[in-house]
Amino acid sequence: MNMRFLMTWMVVGLCVSASRTPAAEPPAVDVGRKTASMPVDVSTFTQEIDQLVADELKRLNQEQRPEIDDYTFCRRIYVDAIGRIPTIDELDRFITDDQPDKRAQLIDKLLNSNGYNSHWYNYWADLLRVKDVGDKLHHSGNYSEWIKDAVRRNKPYNEMAHELINASGELYKPGNGATGFYAREPMPLDHLANSVKTFMGMSIECAQCHDHPYEDWTQQDFYKLAAFTSKTHLRVDPLPKKEKATYAKDRRILKQKDFDEWIVYRESIRVKHASIYGNGTGYMRLPHDYQYKDGKPHDVMTADVLFGKMPTMNYQMSKEKLESLPKNQFGPGINARRSMANWMTSAENPMFTKATVNRLWRKIMGTELIGQLGGLTLEAMGNHPALTKKLISIMKASKYDTKVFLSAVFNSRTYQSKALVLSDTPPPYVLDGPAVRRLEAEVIVDSFLSLKTETPDKYVATEFRWDGFTHFYDKSRDFTVKDFVDYSIKGPGRGRFQNREEREAMKRNGDMGPKELWRVSTFGRNYKRHWMAMLLGKSNRELIDEANQEPDIPQILFLMNGLGIPDDALIYHKLSSATNHREKMELIWKAILGRLLKDSEEPLFENTPEDLMWALLNSNEFKFVK
Amino acid sequence: MNRKDFIYRAGMAGMSLPFLNATGAAAQTTKAKSVINIFLNGGLSQYDSFNVEVDKPVLGKSTIIKSNVDGVRVSNYYPKLAKQMDQLLVLNAMKTNQGAHPAGIYKMLTSYNPRSTVTHPELGAWVNKCLTTERDSLPNFVSIGSGRAGSAGFFPGQWAALPVKNPDKGIDFVKRSESVGEKAFKNRLNILDSLNKDFAKDFGSKDTRSYVDTYAGSLKFMNSNDIDAFELNTENPNIVNLYDKSDFSRSCLLAGRLVERGVRFVKVNLGGWDYHDGIYEKMPANANKLDSGLSSLLTHLSQKGLLESTLMVVSTEFGRKPEVNPNRGRDHHPDGFTCLMAGAGVKAGQIYGSTSKDGKHADQDVLDVTDFNATIAWRLGIDPEFEENSASGRPFKLANKGKARKELFG
Repeated sequence: MNMRFLMTWMVVGLCVSASRTPAAEPPAVDVGRKTASMPVDVSTFTQEIDQLVADELKRLNQEQRPEIDDYTFCRRIYVDAIGRIPTIDELDRFITDDQPDKRAQLIDKLLNSNGYNSHWYNYWADLLRVKDVGDKLHHSGNYSEWIKDAVRRNKPYNEMAHELINASGELYKPGNGATGFYAREPMPLDHLANSVKTFMGMSIECAQCHDHPYEDWTQQDFYKLAAFTSKTHLRVDPLPKKEKATYAKDRRILKQKDFDEWIVYRESIRVKHASIYGNGTGYMRLPHDYQYKDGKPHDVMTADVLFGKMPTMNYQMSKEKLESLPKNQFGPGINARRSMANWMTSAENPMFTKATVNRLWRKIMGTELIGQLGGLTLEAMGNHPALTKKLISIMKASKYDTKVFLSAVFNSRTYQSKALVLSDTPPPYVLDGPAVRRLEAEVIVDSFLSLKTETPDKYVATEFRWDGFTHFYDKSRDFTVKDFVDYSIKGPGRGRFQNREEREAMKRNGDMGPKELWRVSTFGRNYKRHWMAMLLGKSNRELIDEANQEPDIPQILFLMNGLGIPDDALIYHKLSSATNHREKMELIWKAILGRLLKDSEEPLFENTPEDLMWALLNSNEFKFVK
Repeated sequence: MNRKDFIYRAGMAGMSLPFLNATGAAAQTTKAKSVINIFLNGGLSQYDSFNVEVDKPVLGKSTIIKSNVDGVRVSNYYPKLAKQMDQLLVLNAMKTNQGAHPAGIYKMLTSYNPRSTVTHPELGAWVNKCLTTERDSLPNFVSIGSGRAGSAGFFPGQWAALPVKNPDKGIDFVKRSESVGEKAFKNRLNILDSLNKDFAKDFGSKDTRSYVDTYAGSLKFMNSNDIDAFELNTENPNIVNLYDKSDFSRSCLLAGRLVERGVRFVKVNLGGWDYHDGIYEKMPANANKLDSGLSSLLTHLSQKGLLESTLMVVSTEFGRKPEVNPNRGRDHHPDGFTCLMAGAGVKAGQIYGSTSKDGKHADQDVLDVTDFNATIAWRLGIDPEFEENSASGRPFKLANKGKARKELFG
């Protein structure tokens, strides 16, 4: 153990614990504060990871990979921690820094930066599939903002998951965006299968329609789990009673009078009322086409977990009583959904923490710690169970503080090892360092910003941003029926209703900076407008883990013939003040590849800066992290 | 043998090529080589177009005109197609189970209900995957115009449609940037090559090679002799003059050129059909686009001798209600709507299927959208029951439970 690493651990331990504030339960729309966590000793975690890896290498008689130099480290940590390459100045500052613990300091700085909030929003928004869904989640802005808020606060992951699973109430109420997780799903049973995959890394969707072909789950298991969530439903219109008593009369009048007025009336009332109701009855009924011998169609199923400890339930109706009722009856709501959230996100749940560390490891190391992101089993512990166990215990000890977990890995010698090429014949042990990976779509796009400006993270939001729907929800708090009618009559029609509210919301948010300097995350729910990121394989968020890092012809044609760095970009500014050709070359290499020129590259000197920049930006070295 | 092994082996044993077996193929005298699918996003009003044999009030403000086929009449908004009804088969009893746009479009194009645990490939992606050979220098699935581009669903992205947003601009970025001369471009590629070779020494992998290969493929595509298929200005003026200048007509012209070069599946998008209000003020312009573009395309294909080998289909996600609502529009109607087919030996000059006279339901010879897709696949010589597994190993058939309606062909 050398001295430099020991110091690294000590400093990081201090920094991470010092950056926390005392615990407090956050109110609905108070944003920007950090959630507390217990002071933890990150350096011990880091040491433990490295020790386990070293032991395993020794056992397998496999050589340790060499440690990376400062240039490689700098580019890698910027990409993995904040999702873009460093600017020339950021790179220079790090390289010329002569403090022995400068790597640890940089890790800590990046994990607590605006760039982190941008990059990790993309991660969660993909996992949680933030998108507008027709007439279910008409507008996913509040959902998007909820996630951004959780990332900014560094909300413990288990709390975040619990809130998502158990969310209810109005979709567009500022601060209640966790409802988007349920509302974005067209079908309740799909939602359940996706929740299991999201939070426990298991694939049980087959059991929705038939016994799982090669796992143990039966269709009945699935329906018993579904019993926790039964009678949960999304309703976009006001409840029937309220609708009838308050809104129906004018709705009829407007419908006969003018389409545009009627539809704005309908939509604006929906913004106010769209809600998730019901919290689970603990009973479910088998489907009408149930085919197995252990039950009949419409039989009542009592809630049960797939494994582990059954949470306490507060049943108010017996199963026998419910069985005597018609088959469309499921019993009274008893907060069963909360019980399921308790079970699913518990530290004692054997899958929750395991799936989480498997996912985070894959994200920053590029290898499978345990198995496929959505294809884990109860038994699987990966090729190095001791390391898996350790990472699980780190996650638990840090109270699900993602930053502590990341810090522990980033500071390790393991992370700071030479990258491995995952070939057809990999070495016996591949968890001793990251793999060479193509940068994610958003990372490539955001890396262009590092060439354009000295402050690529300047316009990442630091507080809650209003969108058209949360803004309208807020401004219509005291609307009477007459106000809604007046609003609709003056209204400009359905399409422009939303645009008008968006414009007002933008004003309310104040200056958000020029769009060409936004990071991809700032587009939030409007990510699809980011055609460049979509072209590079960004997830369209239909499914979990849908992003890809593969080339195709439209993407390559764009990179070859369509990619332009504007004349006023930072890189050109730097080049214009360079005094000789060599200096220009060095600037280009540092800006795009984050390293110095190699001797073998000197023959490239004869080319123009434009040609070289084109070649570097199209090169694999730019698109991959090594 | 455990269950997992069983599934795996059963899958291997049952693995087959997608093509219909010898008996099936022999039964087909004419086979389609290509498909052009004009997709009318928004929901075509069947009662203001090709299903006019219903009670008079159902037709709203539309009037009936004769066509060039006895017994086949159409609405007054389609005067040009009225003169070519001998080339079209009208399917008047189409049925779907989806009543909202995104779900309806998804169902029509993929044969499946939208789910959030899997995404399904569009028919064009199945065709692309099943029929592409090494000899093809053009992609076999092209989507022209705005709208859903042509998703590969759970297939690898290479089977998705190549999008052409604007028919006159061709494929995005397919030409060298104007500021870069040919020599400079070559030089850039040389530098790129040396950088990539150097990187590969230490870090070359399947993924980096895949990039090198796709760059090579993209360059081949840029320099391909076939790339001019996408350049409308190289078309014979006699053919160009068959069409008017609207984007949709230009898209149809491009589609014709592409099937001439052997592209297997071309989707042409024409949106804007969702007329919930003021249908008789707003619709005629769009109907005119369809009338002109489609009639020109039929002439184009006939003149080139391509109509025998090209299956033309016009489809939409659902139809519109028999009642005109108080806002003088028509709302969504999934039970009994209209699609068209032409070419590839289809029984042209006929009407297949009918709705009840009050226009409320599909009545005779009902054709589900999955059967519609199965029929297209069958006509291309692809088994509609051909199965592929999603990433999580769930098997899906090309046309879901759809069955080919072979009687639509002579």
